[in-house]
Amino acid sequence: MVLQQRESLQISGDSTEQVITIENLKHTYDGKYFALNDLSLSIRKGEVFGLLGKNGAGKTTLIKALTTLIRPTSGKLSILGMDPAHDGKEIRRRIGVVQQGESFEFTTVEGNFDIYGVLWSVPKKVRLQRREELIKMFDLQGVRKQRYFDLSGGQKRRVQVAREMMHDMDILFLDEPTTGLDVFMRRALLDSIKREVRQGLTVVFTTHNLEEADYFCDRIAVIDQGKILAMDTVENLKRLYGGKKTIEVTLSGGDATAFFAELEEKLSGSEIKVEGSSAIILAEDPKEALQRIVELSQSTGVQVEWLNVRKNTLEDVFIGSVSRNEEE
Amino acid sequence: MAAPNILKLMYRNVKVNVDPGTLIILIGLPAMYLVFFGFGFGSMLPTGGTTAYLTFLTPGIMSVQCLMAGTVGGGMLWADRRWGMLAQLLVGPFTRFQYLLGIMLTSLVFGLAGAFVMLIGAYLIIGSLQLTLWGALTVFGFIAIGSIFFGSLMLLIAGLVKSSNAYNSIQIFVLFVVNFASTVFYSFSTNLPLPIQVLFQANPLTYVANAARGGFSGTFPASDMWQVPLLVVETVVVLALATRVYVRSDISFV
Repeated sequence: MVLQQRESLQISGDSTEQVITIENLKHTYDGKYFALNDLSLSIRKGEVFGLLGKNGAGKTTLIKALTTLIRPTSGKLSILGMDPAHDGKEIRRRIGVVQQGESFEFTTVEGNFDIYGVLWSVPKKVRLQRREELIKMFDLQGVRKQRYFDLSGGQKRRVQVAREMMHDMDILFLDEPTTGLDVFMRRALLDSIKREVRQGLTVVFTTHNLEEADYFCDRIAVIDQGKILAMDTVENLKRLYGGKKTIEVTLSGGDATAFFAELEEKLSGSEIKVEGSSAIILAEDPKEALQRIVELSQSTGVQVEWLNVRKNTLEDVFIGSVSRNEEE
Repeated sequence: MAAPNILKLMYRNVKVNVDPGTLIILIGLPAMYLVFFGFGFGSMLPTGGTTAYLTFLTPGIMSVQCLMAGTVGGGMLWADRRWGMLAQLLVGPFTRFQYLLGIMLTSLVFGLAGAFVMLIGAYLIIGSLQLTLWGALTVFGFIAIGSIFFGSLMLLIAGLVKSSNAYNSIQIFVLFVVNFASTVFYSFSTNLPLPIQVLFQANPLTYVANAARGGFSGTFPASDMWQVPLLVVETVVVLALATRVYVRSDISFV
């Protein structure tokens, strides 16, 4: 397997070692708007660190700063103990990057792997072995002789991600790597990277897919307008920021608007978002909310057609923290 | 031992760019000039005919290779930008300068290889060509300098323009003007209108073509000697400008 061939380029270190530290990082492209605004965080060795945020939140700018593509306007950055301003080339030798946009060579799938291996000085024997393993792992056998332009969007993305695995690295930056992949390939990709993480690889990961972040990440930072709104383990975030339970309810046979208005009066501290005859209730006390719904249904004769209480998801954390930031 | 980064980048550039489209631009077009212009204009000459004109044209067409190689170099930068490989390579273990030198070296190799192909083609058409070892060194030496000049010029243009359409339009314009306002196809004449005379004299392709002809004939006119240091100085200046523009350019829009 590829895993057995790989070596961390780092000579020593343990799981508490911080491989990325960022202090008060700011970056502006136009001198007015700060894409990164006083952002601080640290990432430990062997951690899968997720960056969540809306479009334009600053995730890609942060990745660009961490991968030495842009020089931040101000603040301190340390990657693998080095300063990107002075040790950019050495840092780039020890990282892998899958960028958000397409990037490819005008050659075959095999050619893309081979060129990448040569560029990264992977010895020929290892290069050929890894190429075969990656082509198999990413299900590219059927298109290995095809030129990149002839591939589907998902196949191109798979080549782009797989190609990056040709070389050894300490940190892998993945900027929305699963865009365009089907659910099976997405899971296969994340699982294969997880295996690498067990070998000590650190992963910095951005995505819009919150289920994916939930599945893949050890810790998550929610970013908006260049600032960190929340940062913790997924479970802690759910507990801290998604404190209210979500109840979904659909009514039939009566005045739903009046029903929900009366319910809101009775449930202090809960939020109700009404859409026609359905509503999503963010309840402080779900037991009490359910009891009130049943009582109201009996007293008004409105029938409860569908009722669901669900666990908090990362989506609740994300929407909650970003909405709160926008309100402030 | 791993190859130096510039050689690895050159390997990559050659591997990616040796395709039918590039070969048509690089070799097909000058080869057509050699055949069509050689026989077309040659047959109109009152003395010497086709053979004399082809003998005159061969060093010029070999010189054109440095311009063609330069356009391929500029095209590489644009293609890498357009298809995401520039940003991808710049997060790899290379410096921006190494990337630039990789393209320059590729242009140089393409220029020299193309000139050699033209030399063989001309030999096959004419049947004989006189070129001494010293003459060959002169011809290929100047084509090498010309390749670096035009490679730098096209990289400079590619670094300044913001769209591939603009780059392609400028490239076609440059190709036309530089090719035809030079001594590649005809000799410099004081009977030409003054603006065209100035264009001829200011055109580095004229210097390369004249030097290449000097390499073939074994004599270099004293009146053209000033062109040699000027070509070298222009090459250094354009290379420095291209490097400056490229190293400072913001590629974050890629």
